Amino acid sequence: MTSVRRRLVPYFLLGPGIIWLILFFAVPMYFMARLSLYSGTVFQGNLQFDWHWANFKDSLDLYHSQFVRSFIYAGAATLIALVISYPLAYAIAFKGGRWKNAMLLAVVAPFFTTYLIRTIAWETILSDQSPVVKVLTDVGLATNGHVLATAGAVIAGITYNFLPFMVLPLYASLERIDPALIEAGRDLYGSPAAVFRKVTLPLSAPGLVAGTLLTFIPAAGDYVNAFFLGAPNNQMIGNVIQDLYLKQTDYPAAAALSFILMALIMVVFVVYIRFAGSEALMGEEARP
Amino acid sequence: MSLKPLRTTLVAASVLAAALALAACGSGGIGGGGSENVSTVTVTGKPSGELVISNWPLYIDKQTVPDFEKATGIKVKYIEDVNDNAEFFGKMQPLLAQGQSGGRSLFVVTDWMAAKMHELGYLQNLDKSAIPNVEKNLVPQLRHPSFDPNRDFSVPWQSGMTGLIVRTDLAPEIHSICDLFNPKYKGKVDMLTEMRDTVPLVMKSGCNGNPPVDLSHATEQDWLNAIDEIKQAAESGQIRRFTGNDYARDLTSGDVDAVIGWSGDAVQLQADNPNIKFVMPKEGCMLWSDNMVIPVGAPNPTAAEAWMNYVYDPKHQAQIEDYVNYVSPVQGTKQVLLKMDPSVANNQLIFPSASFTKNCDVAPTLTGAEEQKVTQAFNAVVNG
Repeated sequence: MTSVRRRLVPYFLLGPGIIWLILFFAVPMYFMARLSLYSGTVFQGNLQFDWHWANFKDSLDLYHSQFVRSFIYAGAATLIALVISYPLAYAIAFKGGRWKNAMLLAVVAPFFTTYLIRTIAWETILSDQSPVVKVLTDVGLATNGHVLATAGAVIAGITYNFLPFMVLPLYASLERIDPALIEAGRDLYGSPAAVFRKVTLPLSAPGLVAGTLLTFIPAAGDYVNAFFLGAPNNQMIGNVIQDLYLKQTDYPAAAALSFILMALIMVVFVVYIRFAGSEALMGEEARP
Repeated sequence: MSLKPLRTTLVAASVLAAALALAACGSGGIGGGGSENVSTVTVTGKPSGELVISNWPLYIDKQTVPDFEKATGIKVKYIEDVNDNAEFFGKMQPLLAQGQSGGRSLFVVTDWMAAKMHELGYLQNLDKSAIPNVEKNLVPQLRHPSFDPNRDFSVPWQSGMTGLIVRTDLAPEIHSICDLFNPKYKGKVDMLTEMRDTVPLVMKSGCNGNPPVDLSHATEQDWLNAIDEIKQAAESGQIRRFTGNDYARDLTSGDVDAVIGWSGDAVQLQADNPNIKFVMPKEGCMLWSDNMVIPVGAPNPTAAEAWMNYVYDPKHQAQIEDYVNYVSPVQGTKQVLLKMDPSVANNQLIFPSASFTKNCDVAPTLTGAEEQKVTQAFNAVVNG
């Protein structure tokens, strides 16, 4: 093989991936960007391209509360999922032993049912007459026996649906920690809490970042949970975009909102990565 | 030899090429031909071949399709993929704009959607010589609707009433749309996402101190005022949800006391739970029809018209009606059902008397910028 051909091999290998990215990401992005500058709706029959930058401002004015709501719900769901998943992943990774695979299967098993059915099942679980709600009312966590069609129900639905996305990355990075390191920490007179804080937590940081991002980003754009489990004032930006596109056939506004959502998530992502990568969060940088 | 400049050029060139290629073959057409050059179906010869129909779910019994296939030799593919007029439109629009129908020769949409599709040039006019049963048996009150005065492009499939469906064991005193705004039932009522059912009902009922609106002279401001009333109810938590057919779940579980709902659903819900009843609102109900239409690009319009003619025979309609339980548009069906299934024939919801529906109205039509504004306002309420 000549020297030039050898240098070109990586590009040939990347070829299919790049073509896929161009065809199914870059080109649709271009079309959607173009669409966001149209005006009119399909129903009115007056859809046309006229550099209508006002779409962005108008949509933001009308729907900014849904944006805020979506980020709050997604953030809350991510936090709750983290609190539930970290102990779970820790237990599976360190205490799982023979049952590791079975436990992982149990975490993933709900995914064998479709997303929609799982959410509709929650409608039954949280309905006003269900025993679950009765218990919650007695304990004082629910007001007047009414859980469905509230923000709590939507957040619960999102947390449930995205839990495996949090558990699996956490498990993957916890599992990779060399137990010798933890032993070493203890040998150096570290209390269990200190060992956790200074050894385990920093080493699981990659899984933490991956898990939180994999949960937050899709949750921010979710619409299924709010549709089934929420009231009209719990609707998220995903619902608005779906409605604009399918019901009102207002493609320009829907495209504009999609781009705004993408931009906002990018901002959150960049800020988060810089923050999560900094030493300040984890104390001293943990080096294996 | 550094390949960096080559790599950058390669990537840039391929992106540009791909974008241009797809831009060139992308679809640009949105509107159809407009209603000036609407094509008319020409029925040729004996109906045969395959017929693909799109309809709403639970809108036909299990026997009619096999019977039709046996009687005519046409093979029918019956798909129940119409769940919402606007969503079906969203799905079909890219095809219809190109003059295609995705293989369908007939589908069923509500009045206003049929009007809209006709306006955009997506429907064909019918060859009336092939549907004599329709000419003979269509009930008089549906012969000249405002959106299709000569029934050129639409034939009613079923009609229905929109009113109140109430859990009479939980809330026996609900008799009016205005009762849905009563704080006593806060969080225990649902309204429909179908704007042309919910808003006209609120308009003509004159709730919350507002005067009732005469629907035949409703203005844009009347619509917006009613939407504002609904908005306040939604924000305060008075309205639990905006639903489609899925209000049935809320009613059966008792999560709500009353909903705005459709008469056919009430008949079926009542069979399962006798406490769930259709209540004719004091101020009257909304009347609507779902219509069979033939789209542009229909592969077998001859068979589609044969289907229309077949279901307008009272005997065949009675079989459908016995299962569907909506309001039949075919004259003579009641007589057949009196012998077949008297309980259906005498059901006020299926064969309503003139006095039952005396205060009922058809939804007023909206067009142009007015429609755009009202739709946007209503959807902003439904989406919080």
